Amino acid sequence: MKDDTTIRERVPNIFRKMKRLGYYWRLFPAVFWLGAFLILPLSVMFIFSFWTMVNFVPTPTWTLQNYLDIFVRAEGLYVKLLFKSLGMSAAVTLGSIALAYPAAYYISMRGGKYKYVLLPLCITPFMVSWVVLIFGWRMVIGYTGLVNTLLMNVGLISEPVRFWGNWMAVIFVLIVSWAPWLVLPIFVSLEKIDRTLLEAGEDLGATPLENFRKITLPLSMPGLLIATFFVSIPTFGEFVAPALAGGASGAMIGSAIESAFKRMHDWSFGSAMSFLLVIIALITSLVLIRKAGLKTLMESL
Amino acid sequence: MLQGKRILSTYFYLFMLVIYLPLLSLLVFSFNDSLSAGFPWKGFTLRWWETFFSDPVALTTVKNSFVVAVATAVVATFMGLGVAFVLVRRVFRGQNVLLSSLVVPIAVPYLLIAVGLFLLLRVGLDLEFSLFTVAIGHIVVALPYSTLVLMARLIGFDRSLEEAAQDLGATGFTTFRKITFPLITPGIFVSMFLAFIISLEDVIIANFLVGGDLTVPMFVWGRLRRWEGLPMAMALSSFMVIIALAFACVFLIRAVSPGLRSPPREV
Repeated sequence: MKDDTTIRERVPNIFRKMKRLGYYWRLFPAVFWLGAFLILPLSVMFIFSFWTMVNFVPTPTWTLQNYLDIFVRAEGLYVKLLFKSLGMSAAVTLGSIALAYPAAYYISMRGGKYKYVLLPLCITPFMVSWVVLIFGWRMVIGYTGLVNTLLMNVGLISEPVRFWGNWMAVIFVLIVSWAPWLVLPIFVSLEKIDRTLLEAGEDLGATPLENFRKITLPLSMPGLLIATFFVSIPTFGEFVAPALAGGASGAMIGSAIESAFKRMHDWSFGSAMSFLLVIIALITSLVLIRKAGLKTLMESL
Repeated sequence: MLQGKRILSTYFYLFMLVIYLPLLSLLVFSFNDSLSAGFPWKGFTLRWWETFFSDPVALTTVKNSFVVAVATAVVATFMGLGVAFVLVRRVFRGQNVLLSSLVVPIAVPYLLIAVGLFLLLRVGLDLEFSLFTVAIGHIVVALPYSTLVLMARLIGFDRSLEEAAQDLGATGFTTFRKITFPLITPGIFVSMFLAFIISLEDVIIANFLVGGDLTVPMFVWGRLRRWEGLPMAMALSSFMVIIALAFACVFLIRAVSPGLRSPPREV
């Protein structure tokens, strides 16, 4: 009798266990994909960064020379490029957030019933390919573009100004192209602010500016952090805007990586630069997402 | 106070104007009867659009882009759905590791993922680059977005509905079909849309993994870099702009039609 019950209890238990384990097959496709096409490629890159290209063939030499080269090759050109890129990323981040914040604020606080009409309208330009957007900006601020033509017609300048083809054009294009996308996370964080707090502040005699500085801005911080995450990480590796809008002075570290792989065939040096950038980007992301919370990121999509 | 409001709304409309300016310029100047892309305006022509629609190479790039984008949308959403279910509904060891590695594709620049895949596929596996390899890369970067969107949807999911169905005798599959799936459908749509757009507009990953068959952004990128055939590239770019605007219209209809979205909170 006693054995009978244990068996009867044990059998459903095994079934339940199998069923529970069976649930995890759902993970398999994604885990396989991430393993094969994310972790493995980054590992290959890591390994390659210690190899040397001998006659365009990667050869396992296990050297730190590639990392050293970032600092010494071409009189430190590459390390300068790295710092310049980080500086440009910071400028782009600040600029695009400054541009997006008032727009998000307007939609959230004054949008009324048109909120969810204005928001998608605002994001739409970001759904166009990067290359197409940059092409469009060339039409606007290029040598024969809209701005130059207008300024010449008004008579402010006698010949076109070279807005295009330098580092300022790169920063400008990146700022205005990222801003629409940053409206979203900032808007989401502004929406979550309890409006009665603002009323309370007003009742206690705070000016609108004080209200903004003491209530709205601190409470929208998670959105700002996610916005920073959205713009700064891709800008670290930007090479499209520098190639099309940057000219000689607009090159970024991404341009160096791209040309190491696509033109110079210098894969091991390119891998070292890439891996250094992976580390920088991962640390930045970790700090930003930790502070903002993964939930905020989720809600911002 | 009133002045502040006016400044803010003026800023907003200026902002909208500026972000649409490049798109409008492309649209308008794709009808310009000039061999160069830019001013002066030399008259209206449909020549560049005709060139685009009669150029088999350009049309193929459009087809290629859509094939890759649809594949990315479907596969990334399918994979994301599986991960989202397990991550939201189960507690297990290694959960945080999985979640972190899931965010990695958006926590490093796409360029570096493209470089890694370039090395693995070209050097490691000796694969010929094609649209297939582009799709591999696109799925990697779309997966985090898909998963996060679906997770957000599942976290807000009322599980008592599923339990009720099961109490009433529904099988696991029926419960999924009748209860779970309809409730997460909006999430699936958003996930597919995001993945589709990510793939359609990408030039970074395609730049490293594309073979002979180009996608639209790669085609435009090539033309822009070599400064050739720009007017036709402009028509093609405008075509992509129109597609983006069409998507925006879908969202607008969604936004204004009642029932599809909870009404905006009264302020």
